[in-house]
Amino acid sequence: MMLARTVRIAVVVAILGLVVTLALAFRRDPHDIRTGTIGKPAPAFTLERLDGSGKVALADLSGKVVVMNFFASWCLPCTQENPALVRVYERYRASDVVMLGVNYQESRDSGFAYVRRMGMGWTTVADDDGRVAFSYGVFGPPETFFIGSDGIIAGRHIGPIDEETLVTAIEKLRGQAASR
Amino acid sequence: MNGRVVIALALVALAAALLFAARPPEVTADERIDQITAELRCPVCQGLSVKDSTSETARQMRDLVAQRVREGKSNSEIEAEFRAAYGDWIFLSPPVASWSGLVWFVPIAVLAAGLLLVSGRLRRVEAPGPVEPSAPQVAALRERVAREEAAEG
Amino acid sequence: MSAGDLGAAALRAALFLALWGTGASIYAAWRRDARALVSARIAAGVGFALVVIAALAMMFALATHDFSILYVAENNARETPTFYSIISLWAALEGSILLWTAILAGATAFIAFRGTIAIPRLATTALAVMFAMLTFFLLLITTPAADPFARLAIAPENGNGPNALLQNHPLMALHPPLLYLGYVLTSVPFAYAIASLILGEGGDRWLVATRRFALISWALLGVGIVAGAWWSYAVLGWGGYWAWDPVENAAIMPWLTSTAYLHSVMVEEKRSLLRTWNLALVVTTFALTILGTFLTRSGVVNSVHSFSLSAIGPLLLGYLVAILVLSVGLLLWRSARLRDAGPIGAPLSREAIFLFQNVLFMAATLTVLLGTLYPLVAEAISGAQLSIGGPYFNRVEIPLALALLFLMGVGPQLPWHGASRATLERQFTAPIVAAAAGAVAALATGTTALAAVLTYALGAFVIATVVQEFARGIRARRTLHGESGPAAFSNLLRRSGRRYGGYVVHIGIVLVALAVATSQARTVDAERTLAPGETLVVAGYTIRLDAIRPVSEPQRDSIVADLLITGNGASEQLRPALVQYPNSTAAVGSPGIGAGLRDDLYTILAAYDQRTFSWATIRTRVIPGVSWLWLGGAVVGIGALIAALPAPRRRAVRMPVAEVAVSAK
Repeated sequence: MMLARTVRIAVVVAILGLVVTLALAFRRDPHDIRTGTIGKPAPAFTLERLDGSGKVALADLSGKVVVMNFFASWCLPCTQENPALVRVYERYRASDVVMLGVNYQESRDSGFAYVRRMGMGWTTVADDDGRVAFSYGVFGPPETFFIGSDGIIAGRHIGPIDEETLVTAIEKLRGQAASR
Repeated sequence: MNGRVVIALALVALAAALLFAARPPEVTADERIDQITAELRCPVCQGLSVKDSTSETARQMRDLVAQRVREGKSNSEIEAEFRAAYGDWIFLSPPVASWSGLVWFVPIAVLAAGLLLVSGRLRRVEAPGPVEPSAPQVAALRERVAREEAAEG
Repeated sequence: MSAGDLGAAALRAALFLALWGTGASIYAAWRRDARALVSARIAAGVGFALVVIAALAMMFALATHDFSILYVAENNARETPTFYSIISLWAALEGSILLWTAILAGATAFIAFRGTIAIPRLATTALAVMFAMLTFFLLLITTPAADPFARLAIAPENGNGPNALLQNHPLMALHPPLLYLGYVLTSVPFAYAIASLILGEGGDRWLVATRRFALISWALLGVGIVAGAWWSYAVLGWGGYWAWDPVENAAIMPWLTSTAYLHSVMVEEKRSLLRTWNLALVVTTFALTILGTFLTRSGVVNSVHSFSLSAIGPLLLGYLVAILVLSVGLLLWRSARLRDAGPIGAPLSREAIFLFQNVLFMAATLTVLLGTLYPLVAEAISGAQLSIGGPYFNRVEIPLALALLFLMGVGPQLPWHGASRATLERQFTAPIVAAAAGAVAALATGTTALAAVLTYALGAFVIATVVQEFARGIRARRTLHGESGPAAFSNLLRRSGRRYGGYVVHIGIVLVALAVATSQARTVDAERTLAPGETLVVAGYTIRLDAIRPVSEPQRDSIVADLLITGNGASEQLRPALVQYPNSTAAVGSPGIGAGLRDDLYTILAAYDQRTFSWATIRTRVIPGVSWLWLGGAVVGIGALIAALPAPRRRAVRMPVAEVAVSAK
């Protein structure tokens, strides 16, 4: 009967589809979430510095390569990635690469104390209500964004970052900036 | 009272109640916030909505939604803001008009296919109406009940 | 010899016996060899005992904190209370598989000793299938894939302790074992179905033999799912009981197909139809249990349960593929012998309703499967990442559930073969009136969401049909046996347990539906930051924060908020807390729940002043009707019990015809 044959073929195809789907699923890392603001212009912001000495606006940094790192003292991986950030900061201190730390879901006092404790020499600002983080599509600290000199978000790293990843991304952006 | 009249009256009452329930509700600002946050996924939780999550991130998102509602933004404008930052991932229900909209279409298609299949196997049969049993029939029934119950254990 | 050594040795010996048993039972079925059967029986019995010994050995190792065993080091600590130490047997992957294997070994032994007596050849073939499956699972737990007794070269001083969420509530003792019993027992009808196909039987013997197993596994799975919902509600602290999390979906899918099976089985018993369909349903149910295990243990989907990625993923996938290939192959091969003769029946007959119900259940199951896997598919194909969560599932499943509720009332009222107009009128007048009353009652209690009003109406409809059925049954018994009302009622349950127990189950389902509808439609939320002495008012309740204080226990530190609840006639104290276990980075929220028949008061400590405890953010949910969910689950369990118990033996009663003529008037 035609119908019975159609049903059989449909069943076999469906099961094949299921198995292939599940096998493909092994290639995927469920912790890697990519959707977001990559490739788009970095959303503008004006945030107050943690040390109280004024404000920083994204516009102030135009034309420069910006490494934007979202952090918090209650975030354990942030303390783990900090040494790498310190080393990279020292390396590019004299250049036009700007490192910006954005303190997230924390009181100013607590954030500032963390900055001093961890020896973070770069500019750090406070995102009190989390709006800037939302506009960037932040999932949670630690998260690092790479913004090119053209103001476009070139890349983003979720989770603790290491020196190699930082340097690779920065060099790529500097190369692009130089050729503009 | 005639059975059919009773049924008709009951059906009318039922329909009235359902129509009353189905009328579009006036939505307050709080309810709008609930509506929107129920569809947003909390980025730091396991599949919870922003409405349900007690995390700080969710609370900040709720504040943001509340502010946008106060500013007079429409639901779709607020959703667009989040979509621009997070992509479709931030919504717990995939949009209908896209590839992922397939996920709405498939259950309906499967249901329709199944119902059609089943209906094809049915056939109209005129069944006899209920009849009161006579005394010998009751006796036969008793014997049969006794036999079946003995077997059912 | 330590407990770990004993357990490991027992499992390896059991593996050998399972292999032996597979061969022996195949031989016994093929050659009808009685001695091979005896050998297989011994293998089953001893194998079961050995696996139980291994499980007990693990429990002992956990209770005595033997950290030389990796599993104990990862899931136990010296401070862990003994109760939680013991139930940590199923706290993580390896131990869970051990529990699964123990249950499977028990079912195998049961079939070996009881099943093979009644229908030797069929049951022996089924036994071979069971042994083969047992071999697979024993292979899992005796190889590095999931070996619970893997050793550490150097035993640490103290272990990690169980995951914070798994030692917060005694329900951990119930939920996984119940669920696993439900899962594993679906393998028995499966084994019999495969045996029936292998032997080329055209009849229904496999079905009759496994009827009770199917009912019991369904009931345990259902109660296990409700226990899981309760756990989600009482432990996870987000204020809900079902989140369409992949692990929840993994459990509900086989339950849905199992429910469909329990009903379509009645069509086969009564009218010898739908053989292929029933075989397919049994296979699907079992395959879904393996799929569920795969989804939650392989790490391919992010879920509440996926705490660790493991090499077990590809193995389970391979097992699933093997099962599907074998089953579908057998079904296609044998389908010619199982063809139905002729159409099923009239559109308005019980058979037709059961068929429609089956279609609805399959649509519901496929929706859950699709929703759970779709993000994977979409990403594999287009790289796009999307989420499918509560809002999607609710939108599709609720209409399906309402349709099923309707059929639940209609089905039992329609006779087999078809119904006439007069029958319809007689059967449905009262239920339709009840439906209207139900809808009005919903509106009267302030439940105005459309889906909720429909649920009330359909719930009243079903209850009216059940009451009608009981009334009819009692009347019949009084006429036929001269029993009094109460005696007739109890006899209905005892002697026609399958039917009337089923009706009790339906009442339980109605309770669950009403609970879901009411809680979804009328839950009220409120959140405020309070200083001690301040209050928060919601839905007529006043919640006063009395104090915020730290509490220290050996295995954990907590911050507790003392709340006083008054209003609406209530007066009680609730203590929501944030609990910090040493092995976890984030605190676990422990809700304070004031349960009631009408409302539950659900309080959460969302945040607090960490330095001086001068304020706390308290979130309160007033959830009406959620207690009916647990009640409904219990009623479903009771109904299943009534249906599963065998009727008491009775002597055949002969009554003289003259007496009958008098009493029939």
